[in-house]
Amino acid sequence: MSSRHALALVALWQAALFVVLILLILANRWYGVARRSRLRPRRIAVDTAMKNWALDQWPLDPVVKALGALPAAAAVEALVAWSARIAGERWQALAGALQKEPWVQALRDGVPSRQWWTRLQAARLLAIVATPEDVPLLSRLLLDAHPAVHIAAVAALERLDEPSLIATAIDRLATLPSTVQALYASVLRRSRGSVVEALRGRLAQRDDPGLARIAEFAARLDDPALREFLTPLADHPSTEVRVQVARALGGFPHPTSVLALGRLARDATWEVRAQAMRAIGRIADPTGLPVLTAGLRDPVWWVRLRAALGLTRFGVAGRDALLQAERGADPDGRYVARLILGLSPQALTEFAA
Amino acid sequence: MSHLLPAVDGGILVYFVFLNSFYALLLVLAIPEIWEQTRLAEDEDLVRLLQTDAPPPISILVPAYNESATIQASLTAILTLEYRTYEVVVVNDGSTDTTMERLREAFDLYEVPRIHPETVPTMPIGGQYRSRTRPRLLVIDKENGGKADALNAGINAARWPLVIAVDADTLIEPDAMIRLTRPFLLGRNVAAVGGTVRVANGSTVKDGRVLDARVPRRFLPGIQVVEYLRAFLFGRMGWNRMGGNLIISGAFGLFRKDYLLAIGGYRVDSVVEDFDVVVRLHRYLLEQGIPYIVTFVPDPVAWTEVPETGLVLGRQRERWHRGLLLTMWQYQAMLFNPRYGKVGMLAVPFFTLGEALAPLVEVTGYLVTLLGLAFGVIDIPFALLFVLVAWGYGMLLSVWAVLLEEIGFRRYDRWSDLLRLLLYATLENFGYRQRTVWWRLRSFWSALRRGRRWGEMVRKGFA
Repeated sequence: MSSRHALALVALWQAALFVVLILLILANRWYGVARRSRLRPRRIAVDTAMKNWALDQWPLDPVVKALGALPAAAAVEALVAWSARIAGERWQALAGALQKEPWVQALRDGVPSRQWWTRLQAARLLAIVATPEDVPLLSRLLLDAHPAVHIAAVAALERLDEPSLIATAIDRLATLPSTVQALYASVLRRSRGSVVEALRGRLAQRDDPGLARIAEFAARLDDPALREFLTPLADHPSTEVRVQVARALGGFPHPTSVLALGRLARDATWEVRAQAMRAIGRIADPTGLPVLTAGLRDPVWWVRLRAALGLTRFGVAGRDALLQAERGADPDGRYVARLILGLSPQALTEFAA
Repeated sequence: MSHLLPAVDGGILVYFVFLNSFYALLLVLAIPEIWEQTRLAEDEDLVRLLQTDAPPPISILVPAYNESATIQASLTAILTLEYRTYEVVVVNDGSTDTTMERLREAFDLYEVPRIHPETVPTMPIGGQYRSRTRPRLLVIDKENGGKADALNAGINAARWPLVIAVDADTLIEPDAMIRLTRPFLLGRNVAAVGGTVRVANGSTVKDGRVLDARVPRRFLPGIQVVEYLRAFLFGRMGWNRMGGNLIISGAFGLFRKDYLLAIGGYRVDSVVEDFDVVVRLHRYLLEQGIPYIVTFVPDPVAWTEVPETGLVLGRQRERWHRGLLLTMWQYQAMLFNPRYGKVGMLAVPFFTLGEALAPLVEVTGYLVTLLGLAFGVIDIPFALLFVLVAWGYGMLLSVWAVLLEEIGFRRYDRWSDLLRLLLYATLENFGYRQRTVWWRLRSFWSALRRGRRWGEMVRKGFA
């Protein structure tokens, strides 16, 4: 075969592929439009049934039937949309009624699947309609290797206050990056009682490698019951733990917190000192004032800034301390005090956040 | 001559086969990537996420130089995004038009003292302002130092750990930020994330939002819609899979601030500071042995106005290519250097040999073919077939990008828009592609002559 023949063959192949691609695009568009118009009345039927059932005008059966008429993904989408509007026992009744539906069964059967997207679909469904019988499935999903799957599954804890699942989630949380941890925290916050109980045990284990993450999570909860477990960690050898403890103690206005924060404000690591300054500002106990005033002379900019911002929470006494620093001998203290005194109340609120 | 020309032609053919095979590989890799991303991008998850405090706080940096036509609309849109914790840092880079006055009037600004240290050195800052009506807004008024310098001033002032660099004429979709943070929310070690930039020309824009996405009727912006689809939907998606994404669009990219500060911010002497910063980020993180990904997420969308005249488009493309040449030259030590992993062994070689040198090779191909015809070394049917195959391949890539758009996103609802897209994808190779080759070819000369100077970009503003 000559090179000209080879090129001609390539050109022919290209032309054929070009035509196929165009046809594929047009067919895909046509199918998409047709599917959308086919599904529209079924979606409306679900919305109508849900609305009437929510108002107690219709029984539950039409809702279950209308959901069954949708493709599984669309049904899950509809359930998620309505789950925010219907709460409590009513929603549990729907979840119970759906358990025997073939499409729900099929999705639940996807939990052990090797394909992550199948498990994801199952997790999305169970996140909104899980019942106590689904606990083993959810335990498995919470330990899933794919982040999207366990993140979707953890949402089930908003509705299911099950101690074993909460313990699994907290174990997992300790190994997660802070953004994912924040997501877990927002869910777990709703089951405060069980979560606090589980956290107490974890905070008592000083050699736990995930202690910093657990302390960070405890800080997010702001639950007074955790204070006595967090305070002893102020002298923990790990910097990360001390940073998190300093942050957390700001949420507990208590004399022991102020004492511990006073120690943390003299820590060798500047990140710990900065967090301690911020926390002392949050508590605004008069005994913290000298600590913050001393913080204005800290060698690190961020600590001085946090100390100055903290002083603004002390009202007149804090302002006096700043005015004194503005006229004081220390050039760093003068500079940061001048900056903070020049901020508008609105900007101060934002920066102190 | 009868031996030389076929030899050169053969060399070009080999180059052509290699380059196109690589494009084909990117195209194939883009398929599972889009498939995965569309499964992860469910709207209900986003709604749930928005109700939590999990999304990381973000500083949006908006460098503005003579943007009086668009600044108010785009800032209004940015300030009303669906995201819990973010601030907007606008850096007026010594505009000579009324940008600063427009900002003062529209957002009721008042001066505040500087509260941040100057970690990255920048041109002097004249003043810093906050808004009485929009608490999220911070405006920095500084002497002109170029886009990179303005971004550095923004990084210095940013208070949150993630920063997004957006152009002042960019319209960000309301849910784009939450979508852009998805890799962070999945717990990945992300150094930078890019979103999709789409062409706003021809679409209906109101209050800084694209209400009705249309494919422009005018040829030049219409062709650019296809170019953008190709660049974003299969180029970057393919590189995601390969692990060497070198481009995060300067118009819409999210970075970890600590990494940006560690590499000294944006380079003020680069004409493509967005490209330069990503290459340096790769280099720094690989040298330090820090695990990371630089990734692209297709569903967060920002819309931008593209040039409508050949003159402005030519200047833009010339600058982009000049920047590519200079950057690749600057980081030549990474070329085929195993120390830099896939970036050194795949991405940098591709961008150097495939992208940067492509116009030179293409023009050489045209010249050699013409010479071959003149000297009777190549016959006319063969030359025509060769050109047909080369252009046909370009057409296939563009149509493939349209297919990915249709399957994955379908932002253009009307049949007329789809047909227009297909028409532009088909026509792109007849005339337009040759013009871009010429513009890019000019950049070789200007890289030697002008080095790192920018061109002017004229904006109409959104209607």
